[in-house]
Amino acid sequence: MLEKQIPFWSLLVREVMRFYKVIVQTVLAPIVGSSLYLLVFGVSLGRQIKMADISYLGFLVPGLVMMGVLNNAFQNASSSIISSKFSGDLEDYKVSPLTYQQIIWALALGGLFRGLIVGTVTFCIGQLFYWGMHHQFLGVAHPFLLILFLIIGGLSFAMIGLSVAIRVKSVDQLGAFGNFILVPLIYLGGVFFSIKTLHPFWEHLSHFNPVLYFINGVRYGILGTTDVSIPLALGIAVLTIVSVNVFSLYSLRNSSFSRW
Amino acid sequence: MKDYGKVKAVQDVSFHLEPGEVFGLLGPNGAGKTSLISTIVTLEKPTSGQVLVYGFDVTRQPSEAKKCVGFVPQEIVHHGFFNVEEIMRFYSGYFGYWNNQKRIEELLKKLSLWPHRHKKVRQLSGGMKRRLLIAKALSHNPKLILLDEPTAGVDVELRDQLWELIRELQKEGITILLTTHYLEEAEALCQRVGIIHKGKLLALGPTQELIEKFTQREIHICTKEPKSAITHPLLISQEGNRLIFRIPSHQTVGEILKSLQISLDDVVDLQTKEGSLEQAFRRVIGEELSC
Ligand SMILES: Nc1ncnc2c1ncn2[C@@H]1O[C@H](COP(=O)(O)OP(=O)(O)OP(=O)(O)O)[C@@H](O)[C@H]1O
Ligand SMILES: [Mg+2]
Repeated sequence: MLEKQIPFWSLLVREVMRFYKVIVQTVLAPIVGSSLYLLVFGVSLGRQIKMADISYLGFLVPGLVMMGVLNNAFQNASSSIISSKFSGDLEDYKVSPLTYQQIIWALALGGLFRGLIVGTVTFCIGQLFYWGMHHQFLGVAHPFLLILFLIIGGLSFAMIGLSVAIRVKSVDQLGAFGNFILVPLIYLGGVFFSIKTLHPFWEHLSHFNPVLYFINGVRYGILGTTDVSIPLALGIAVLTIVSVNVFSLYSLRNSSFSRW
Repeated sequence: MKDYGKVKAVQDVSFHLEPGEVFGLLGPNGAGKTSLISTIVTLEKPTSGQVLVYGFDVTRQPSEAKKCVGFVPQEIVHHGFFNVEEIMRFYSGYFGYWNNQKRIEELLKKLSLWPHRHKKVRQLSGGMKRRLLIAKALSHNPKLILLDEPTAGVDVELRDQLWELIRELQKEGITILLTTHYLEEAEALCQRVGIIHKGKLLALGPTQELIEKFTQREIHICTKEPKSAITHPLLISQEGNRLIFRIPSHQTVGEILKSLQISLDDVVDLQTKEGSLEQAFRRVIGEELSC
């Protein structure tokens, strides 16, 4: 049984080593990015923003944690596929007995792992800023739900990264997906603001954005507050991971592993 | 059969390999050799038809089939930031070998890559890169190896090493399919060859038989005394005491001498030049061009 999973473990080790070898780009750079968000929005501008029961910095931390997880999970899986398309070693996956699900889960877990590192460090830096401002740390209201949302979100976004990267015909197409679809969904998913503050029309529309449920799930996990119902958010999270898994399988099956 | 849209890359090609043989797949550029190999290793799906590897259908039982096959692609593969040893570890891992260190060490030493095991692919020379591809393909002890132009752009010394390696692998009982544009290489290594052109298999058989079928032997006879002008259907030149004949393989030198009434005492020197695979190849491809 375990024997059968050796190809999977090998690919997972490769995936983790791949980003570990360029850790400055893959982990450090995103952490610098989210620290800047914390400093500029959370600490400086945040002083002027009044929220009901929590400081803006406190509100921002869970959003940035989840944004780090989702972004980096996506990035890791997609850049792994794209660089392998260039170097030609994507063909190795196809000529070996790796199954499509083994490829999917190895890349998903590799992406999740990188996402979690970025997310955890972001959380710790956020705590430092929070302590600097309020002389106390943020508590974690629902640790189990927090971890659940982080894991499902990271896995799902890595699978999306995999499917998009295997389907695209050029790096530009991948960039377009990131800039025109992924980034807007994440930014409009309530990382920086509560959708309750939006015009009702936009608030309504936001409910069709799956990222909203992931962000609010994490916010509920840490702060205990949310804009959406948590059972609904969990349902949507599970639905998301199942459907992106099916989509990944379909994409692998119907795409070429040949080099560019 | 394999189509790329309108291009019929491989059509009506049917052959099988004998266990333990070295089989040469020959054909000009664009003949469909790589396409054929790609369908064996499932990089391309056959548009129609079937490929069996040790009885496993590559589209229906891919993982069983893939375990039997080692694949050396035509083009160099890079691996980003990974070094030779890591590449070997991952690759054998994909085939289900977790702790394959012994085999990896053995292969890297055999292919003179051991001192370079901490280098990345782009730090290797062209020949080393090619040897790495071969080491990868051997890491899971395959029973069949597919070598797509293993000796393209390789120097004489390395070519000799590769030939030696191919012969060694054959001794170990491994079946080998190789493609090459060097016909003397195919002649030296392959027990059987198939010649494909524009996706069609034009000739198939034991190398020697193909040579005999498609070429003729040249016989140079040097006699003591110059002969008077001879007319003989197989004669191609006569200069003083030198006679050159081109005879089909089934005819013997003795028969020629007899028919010309030249006694052996009269012969100073006799040379025969066997036809080469290259001549056979040209005949086969040429016949196709002319029709
Ligand atoms: N991905 C592809 N899409 C479309 N046509 C292709 C593709 N790959 C190969 N072909 C075409 O299929 C035919 C066979 O190509 P193939 O690479 O199999 O030839 P080959 O015998 O390996 O040639 P060479 O000796 O140059 O390596 C060629 O006409 C080629 O242009
Ligand atoms: Mg080729």
